[in-house]
Amino acid sequence: MSEHPLPPGTVAQVTEGGPPLFGLREMELNFGPQHPSTHGVLRLVLKVDGEKIISARPDVGYLHRGTEKLFETETYPMVVPHTDRMDYVASATNNHAFCLVAEKMLGLQVPKKGQYIRVLLDELQRISSHLLWLATAAIDLGAITPFFYTFREREVILDFFEEYCGARLTLNCMKIGGLPLDLTEGWVQRVAEFNATLPAKYDEYEDLLTENRIWKKRTIGIGVFTKEQCIEWGVTGPTLRAAGLAWDIRKAIPYECYPELDFEIPTGKNADTYDRYIVRVAELRQSQRIVAQCCDWLLKNPEGEVRAKVPRVMKPPAGDAYAAVEAPKGELGFYLVSNGGNKPYRLHVRPPSFINLQALPEMARGHLVSDLVALIGTIDIVLGEVDR
Amino acid sequence: MAARVVNVSAPEQTFLEKIYLIEVAKGMIRTLGHFFRNAPRTLLHEVPVIGKKLVAKLGIPTIHYPEQKRDYSDRFRGRHILKKRDDGTLKCVACYMCQTACPADCIHIEAGEHPNLAYEKHPVVFEIDLLRCVMCGFCVDACPKDAIWMTRDYELSFFTRQSAIYGIPELTEKPSDTASDGPGYGYRPYYGQSPMKKAGEFQPSGLALLPVLDLRAKAINRMPPPPQAPKPAPAQAAKPAA
Repeated sequence: MSEHPLPPGTVAQVTEGGPPLFGLREMELNFGPQHPSTHGVLRLVLKVDGEKIISARPDVGYLHRGTEKLFETETYPMVVPHTDRMDYVASATNNHAFCLVAEKMLGLQVPKKGQYIRVLLDELQRISSHLLWLATAAIDLGAITPFFYTFREREVILDFFEEYCGARLTLNCMKIGGLPLDLTEGWVQRVAEFNATLPAKYDEYEDLLTENRIWKKRTIGIGVFTKEQCIEWGVTGPTLRAAGLAWDIRKAIPYECYPELDFEIPTGKNADTYDRYIVRVAELRQSQRIVAQCCDWLLKNPEGEVRAKVPRVMKPPAGDAYAAVEAPKGELGFYLVSNGGNKPYRLHVRPPSFINLQALPEMARGHLVSDLVALIGTIDIVLGEVDR
Repeated sequence: MAARVVNVSAPEQTFLEKIYLIEVAKGMIRTLGHFFRNAPRTLLHEVPVIGKKLVAKLGIPTIHYPEQKRDYSDRFRGRHILKKRDDGTLKCVACYMCQTACPADCIHIEAGEHPNLAYEKHPVVFEIDLLRCVMCGFCVDACPKDAIWMTRDYELSFFTRQSAIYGIPELTEKPSDTASDGPGYGYRPYYGQSPMKKAGEFQPSGLALLPVLDLRAKAINRMPPPPQAPKPAPAQAAKPAA
């Protein structure tokens, strides 16, 4: 605390979570936007009492690019590359969510092979996104080694993407009605081979973290966000599942070929940061299973179209539609309003990062400033998606 | 719908795990194992002539970037090129299709009359602002004359904004683009199995006719070798009994 004399009339603030640590007055502290552990350009205005957080107010918008407004000036096929830039570590699922809503409006049915490739890309993307999360969340708490291991695997997955669609990060790998390209020769075989090695790699990460004393001390009991709170705040994704509610769009509102695939929804029960970690690692294993099943199917059925017959000019009938996918971070939905033209009249995005970020002040209240780093890590935000 | 759910909350710690010393040792074995496996291989880089080949064979994921460059796939979306006809003129007929299809508004074309009347129209100005470009490849898909392709050139850095705007001289295909040490072709018109297959004057020039590169060998070099069936991989050997 500072040596300054208190200004006259200052009243000692009493925090909600017990007696104040230093008992003088609350201090306002800027966390970010340039802080490395904010995962981008998130600014948090903290009110702290000593080390204890009284309130944390996220100040978003530093990366705002007006994407939703931009959608209104682009024809339907031209929207897809812009969706890449929202959640830039999981662009396949972004593409997928938009394509789903557009197909719903246009009444298109993606061929079976296209569906399997889409799901395969989605799940590879989920693996790479969760690996990135694991790396950064562990670095935030001082564990540097998992970063090297997770990025080793993520690199291979990005190579697969690059071979399939020509880009590593901003994939632009789906088109309305299906996929732009067929698979290259031997791609599925190699994905399957790599996929078979993944469980051993997951064990490697878990060796370093799951029973790690420091990791457990930093995460167990931190940022408890119960099932009821999650439902109230609209929080989805691993945060919701770690609170014990088995809500997964892939099972609840199935899309593409998910009903044909065998996988489980991992849930936690303590709703804390550690459970969210456990749930995400379990999701990595489930995704690995889905990838294996998709590869099997594609190896058995190499022939077939990957894209439906689409009209040359896409003009959905006037009306509106909503479609959502289970993105790595939660429910990613697109709400499309069409006036019958070749451009969306309005295209609203329901981004999981933005909505999950709202839970942060509630999670952080009463915790220490150093726990805030763990909490930002655990909700897995991407600022490109928060600000759009 | 009934979904199978597994509860994955933190497992109870066994007595051995509570001591932590064993757990610490396990972690150290894990990291040191990687260190002793990778360190000698990385040093191989310094061995002249054969060193780099050996490293590539042993499959170390890290690349020493400016000295060592990796190959990208045939579909890589990099810098654009404008293709030429056999007589050296640009194939582009300035139809504005790519400019219309561009989601980033980065293509600027001004059409003019071609001196050779058989070609009628050609671009007087054809500019791509590579700082605006999002490398989506839609211009390639849109082109009815197969005039714009992409290369595998990813080293796009500029000193000034003006120098990032490529005009016809920079975009026209050069022999260096396809030289053995050049970037090579990347994303190009694809007709594959698309129901929108274009017929008639254009032969499928895309991936369908290209010899499939030995991407498999590349990928194997890029990733650790898969575990052998009879002998478990070292990662599995060190797996905890739980």
